[in-house]
Amino acid sequence: MVNIERNLCGIRLENPFLLASGILDENGYTMKKVMEDGAAGVVTKSISKEEKTGYKTPVVVELEGAMINAIGLSNPGIDAFGEEMKLAIKCGKPVIGSIFGSLPDDFRAVAIKMEEFGASAIELNLSCPHVVGVGLEVGSDPVLVRAIIREVKGSVKIPVFAKLSPNLSNPGEIANAALDSDGFTLINTVRAMAIDPHARRPVLSNAYGGLSGPAIKYIGLRMVHEIYRETGRPIMGVGGISSALDAVEYMMAGSAAVQVGTAVGMHGRKIFKELTLQLTEFMKEEGIASLDEIVGIAVKK
Amino acid sequence: MIRARINNVRHETPSVNTLTFTWDHAVQPGQFAMLWMPGYGEIPMSFSSTGKEKAFTVKNYGLTSSKVLELVDGDYIYFRGPYGRGYTERKGRSLIIGGGSGMASLRPLINDDSYGIVSAKTRSELLFRHMFHEASLMVATDDGSEGVKGFPVDILKDMDISPFKNIYICGPEMMIFSIVKYLADKRPEAEASLERSMKCGIGVCDSCSVSGFQLCRDGPVFSVGEIANMKEYGHEKLSFSGRRVPVT
Ligand SMILES: Cc1cc2nc3c(=O)[nH]c(=O)nc-3n(C[C@H](O)[C@H](O)[C@H](O)COP(=O)(O)O)c2cc1C
Ligand code: FES
Repeated sequence: MVNIERNLCGIRLENPFLLASGILDENGYTMKKVMEDGAAGVVTKSISKEEKTGYKTPVVVELEGAMINAIGLSNPGIDAFGEEMKLAIKCGKPVIGSIFGSLPDDFRAVAIKMEEFGASAIELNLSCPHVVGVGLEVGSDPVLVRAIIREVKGSVKIPVFAKLSPNLSNPGEIANAALDSDGFTLINTVRAMAIDPHARRPVLSNAYGGLSGPAIKYIGLRMVHEIYRETGRPIMGVGGISSALDAVEYMMAGSAAVQVGTAVGMHGRKIFKELTLQLTEFMKEEGIASLDEIVGIAVKK
Repeated sequence: MIRARINNVRHETPSVNTLTFTWDHAVQPGQFAMLWMPGYGEIPMSFSSTGKEKAFTVKNYGLTSSKVLELVDGDYIYFRGPYGRGYTERKGRSLIIGGGSGMASLRPLINDDSYGIVSAKTRSELLFRHMFHEASLMVATDDGSEGVKGFPVDILKDMDISPFKNIYICGPEMMIFSIVKYLADKRPEAEASLERSMKCGIGVCDSCSVSGFQLCRDGPVFSVGEIANMKEYGHEKLSFSGRRVPVT
């Protein structure tokens, strides 16, 4: 028998596949359904202190093997999100609360509420590439990153993950500034844009957005590998995973668990059951009894 | 993004135009596209014709659609799709129940053996009524300016629905909801096309979800039996920013 369970900083996952932040996780009923359909848990949409409308449509560009989005971090604000958390948590599987803000105080306030609502962990969105004053703008400043993590770690008991951007020019420096966290989520989307040649203008209303899907897998693998080698901390790998082999590669680069986003749109919620089956099959063929045997195996210590 | 040139713009009602264009691609009745007006946003739009010549039938709702209504013959439209699961087409007599611009997605299903219940706020907004034989058409208006003053479900309750092999429904949420309640145990296989705001159309953003189902992927067409089990339908939805609000 093979064991595909994971223990992520004390959080028990029945398989390594979580739903990534921002995909099918605004409505509590949907999060519950995604878990019933096989995800080991979900990461919520990124939530802020106050309600945020986000960008006008078009907010996505559909491409071959990729997509670009600029949803603009729309969310109802943490207080209203409590209702969705209540619905999602009924499923019994872990719900990780993704949060964002500009200042350490904002992060602290939202993190405390997320914990009250029953989140199993906090994921700090320090990496959204297309909104001014938050996300990557916050997450590329090592002083601010250190302060945010200190503030949040000091006010909640649940584990805290820092989600970093592949667009950082100083990933090692930021990872070091984030060492007070319990682990990392890598990667967020890659800054990108699309132009329509006939309309002669950018497709997204915001012009710039974030690239995701299979096209970014190799960027994600490199960043997971780099940060795992540097820090040895637990990592949730994310970026372009659409098959169990993609996930295996991410685990070999140092991911303790993985998240799936764009591929859920490409293949439907049923992808989670398929990933679990494929992974079990692969482990049998390769004689792997437990995923602990492969996590970080491709990284020279 | 697909670009097509408009063959013809037809004024259907004071606030609704049909744009026809040639696009050689298979589309099922009930499927939709995301229609882009460069500079003015993107909105979901059902195909109101699914033959070689395709069509969108657009009602003036907001900024994007009001700009679409300014287009004339020869202008270009931009869209992506087709998306979603359409209606199940079966041979035999069908009853087509449409409210307001909901008639657009039903139009490709209308044939010689179709009966219609067409409804709208007022007489001038009745859409595609002339596609039915006079003898097989029933009308309901909110203000009583034509036909029954009331809702399609009022007409339905007085009808013998046993001769109809197929029942297809599209329209405003509360109209569909009342019919779903009535038909749930009588005709669970009847089908309705649902509507929610759609930001992405490709199953990622969660804006169109009802009780865990994504209208853009799992729907927009569902059976009445499926809809009857969706707790959110007819009760609550999420606003553009994701705030839970009652459906009215
Ligand atoms: C539509 C969409 C919305 C997203 N929203 C968020 C978000 O709110 N917070 C966040 O941390 N990441 C967000 N992401 C990034 C994903 O969580 C993930 O890091 C990225 O898409 C790479 O994974 P994938 O290739 O599996 O999609 C979003 C991605 C997409 C496609
Ligand atoms: S419109 Fe985005 S999930 Fe359906």
